[in-house]
Amino acid sequence: MSNFKINVRESSTVNVLDLKGYLDAHTAPELEKAFQNLLEEKKYKIVVNCRELTYISSAGLGVFMAYIEDVRKNHGDIKLSNMSPKVFNVFDLLGFPLLYDITKDEADAIQKFTSAKK
Amino acid sequence: MSPELPRLRKKLKKAALLTIVSVLFVAVFGIDVVNWVVDIDWGWLNAARHLFLIGAFIALYFLIESLWKREQSPAKKLSFTLVLTVPVGISVAVLALLSSTTFDVKNDVLIPSGFDAVLLANVYGVVIGSMMLIVLLILRDIILSRRRKGLRRNLLILIGLMLAAAISTLPYARTESGVLSSVLLGLSISLMLVVSFRLPWIVYLPKREKLFSMAYCFVLLCVFIGFSIVTLGESSIGRALMFYSRPLLTIIRSTGLFGAIYFGMAFATTLFHLPTAEAFDRKITEVSSLHNLSRLVTQVFDFNELVDSVTKMTLEVCEAKSSWLEILTVTTPPRGLLGDPRSDPMGETVSLKNITHEETHAIMSSNGESIRKLVLTSRKAIVIDSVRDDKRTEHLRKLNNKFGSMVIVPLLSHEALLGILYATKDLEYGFDKEDVELISAFADQATIAIENSRLIEKSLERERLAREMMLAQDMQRKLLPQSLPDVPEVDLDALSTPAFEVGGDYYDFKMLDDHHLGILVGDVSGKGVSAAFYMAEMKGIFQSLSKIYRSPAQFLGQAHEALLGTIDRRSFISMIYGVLDLRDGSMKIARAGHCPMLFRSGGTTEYVKPTGLGLGMGTNPFFKKTIVEETVRFDRGDFAVFYTDGVTEARPPDGEEFGYERLQEIVQSAETSSALGMRDAIVMAVDAHMRHEPPEDDLTIVVVRWTGKTG
Repeated sequence: MSNFKINVRESSTVNVLDLKGYLDAHTAPELEKAFQNLLEEKKYKIVVNCRELTYISSAGLGVFMAYIEDVRKNHGDIKLSNMSPKVFNVFDLLGFPLLYDITKDEADAIQKFTSAKK
Repeated sequence: MSPELPRLRKKLKKAALLTIVSVLFVAVFGIDVVNWVVDIDWGWLNAARHLFLIGAFIALYFLIESLWKREQSPAKKLSFTLVLTVPVGISVAVLALLSSTTFDVKNDVLIPSGFDAVLLANVYGVVIGSMMLIVLLILRDIILSRRRKGLRRNLLILIGLMLAAAISTLPYARTESGVLSSVLLGLSISLMLVVSFRLPWIVYLPKREKLFSMAYCFVLLCVFIGFSIVTLGESSIGRALMFYSRPLLTIIRSTGLFGAIYFGMAFATTLFHLPTAEAFDRKITEVSSLHNLSRLVTQVFDFNELVDSVTKMTLEVCEAKSSWLEILTVTTPPRGLLGDPRSDPMGETVSLKNITHEETHAIMSSNGESIRKLVLTSRKAIVIDSVRDDKRTEHLRKLNNKFGSMVIVPLLSHEALLGILYATKDLEYGFDKEDVELISAFADQATIAIENSRLIEKSLERERLAREMMLAQDMQRKLLPQSLPDVPEVDLDALSTPAFEVGGDYYDFKMLDDHHLGILVGDVSGKGVSAAFYMAEMKGIFQSLSKIYRSPAQFLGQAHEALLGTIDRRSFISMIYGVLDLRDGSMKIARAGHCPMLFRSGGTTEYVKPTGLGLGMGTNPFFKKTIVEETVRFDRGDFAVFYTDGVTEARPPDGEEFGYERLQEIVQSAETSSALGMRDAIVMAVDAHMRHEPPEDDLTIVVVRWTGKTG
């Protein structure tokens, strides 16, 4: 029924979340759960691929804000990639690019993790 | 008219009737005395005597009727009859035994043996006659207490026949018997049988009263048989009455017979109904308690009162020793779907009757399979005939046989379990099939009642919340500016509508000093009540800090600091703040994650979007670094439009967002020379885009138009 889907991939040491659809107050708990699961497994290197994300509301933005602190405390990060211009605009408006790495490409984001490791 | 008057009149009437009765009886006695002294048969005197007697009884009838209480139940009337007839019967019998008066028959004429015989005949006549009149009236009332077709008619015919039989004796000499009177008597006896045949009032008597009325009827039967024997036969009383008045004797005889027949019938009927009395009683209690309970369902809104009645009625309907109700605080979901039989829902024991909490606890819990659990899983009534022998109640044996038997019934509503009803008896095998059925029926009614009362509670709660929300809405409206600042250099207008009752949008104006006007628009992430609280906080922050921190960037930095302590990690507030210098039309703008300002100046309309994080995001020093201030300069007629994302994200069902480009176009092309005109142009465009659907998000627009001099 839900018009929002999350797919979790693990590529090398980085975990990628593929977001698809409409992220709002109703679907935000799903993303929250996904982050929680990753944190429980002590996976702190997270890339969120927004290629198929069509909409994000303030509740959706709030989820990223809720976990970034914990993730960074554990020397990890949440990086965002592949945003459509419309979605990027929402992130941008709130100043997300000031706080988060937002890359054009998922590979770039992963690259940043691996290069930082070295 | 004074209320005393009718009462006085009634009293006078009674007194008058009593006087008439006594005078006439005395007159009759007087005539008898004259007859005794002067032994001449004066026909006219005899006729007058008859008339006096008739008059006396008619007056007596009215007197009795005026003293009568019609509303008494048949059972009460029975006891009254008993109290009346037994003493009279006994005293008359004693009198007859003690006196040695006789009447000799000579040529069909009764000759009294002495003056005392005349006196005694008068006493018998008055006493027994009056008594029989009362008995007749009682019989009338008992018979008519249950209306039936033709009953009143039959009764009237019967009384008519009795009177006719009485009158028919007049032409005859004292001891002679007439054929006509015998025929009339026979007819009236058959009518007596008819009116005495069905006695519905007996059927509805409770068992105890049935027993009583049976005893009463038996005694009355004996009394009236006695009277009949005495008055029919050639006894001294019969003779005396015959001497006193032959018609009266006829009426006394037939009334005695009537009484004997009626009470005989009543006795037989009661006897006949006695075996079913208990069942009948129970049915009646059953019907009335179910009726009471169903009335309760619709009338009682108080939960405690309701459960109290349920257990109380449970005790009543099956004469249980104790009863209590367990209300499950978490109702179980329907079985099979999500129901987990292993998890016991929590219950609260309420409304205990003749039992302590400790005892109920002992019954409901046990180490093994508790009976409570059995009901929870089977969802059927469980009957324990013998607490001592039943395996399921092994754990109760130590309770000194306090409980003989028990019934446990679930309160089921649409497969969801609301509670459990318990009832116990001291006796083993105390609950028969009917009891269990009754308690089950009862539990069903109780379920509906409990559900009803819960629904009512819920709807009351909902109503209360709705009222609270209305108040909150009112309050929030008051947090927004009640009037626009009256500044000649600017033309201002604003609009803010929450999507729900309350929202998270906020706008405000403040004169910071004589030349600086602060214009603020903010938007709390999320909607509804939580957003409304932050909105109120924003108001406090703006009102207290804006005058201290004059530059927009400074202010936003301080606002962030103030908010950090209270705001949830998931929430943030976006804000845009402009400080307009009224002297030269320059406006400093800083933005904290908010929608950019639209600036229409000259022929172009551009977004002004200085960088800046949303309030509540990032640590304090970092946040402050992100805030950048920009300055715009107004020329006369220029517009600045502040708004929240309710405008740009307005989206009709299955349509696309209103968007920034559309907004820019509208502001650019709006042919208006007032802030209000611009505001309405945007509102109408958004509304048209939404196809007039109500907005899903809070929506705020603030328009500033510069009318001052160009700097």
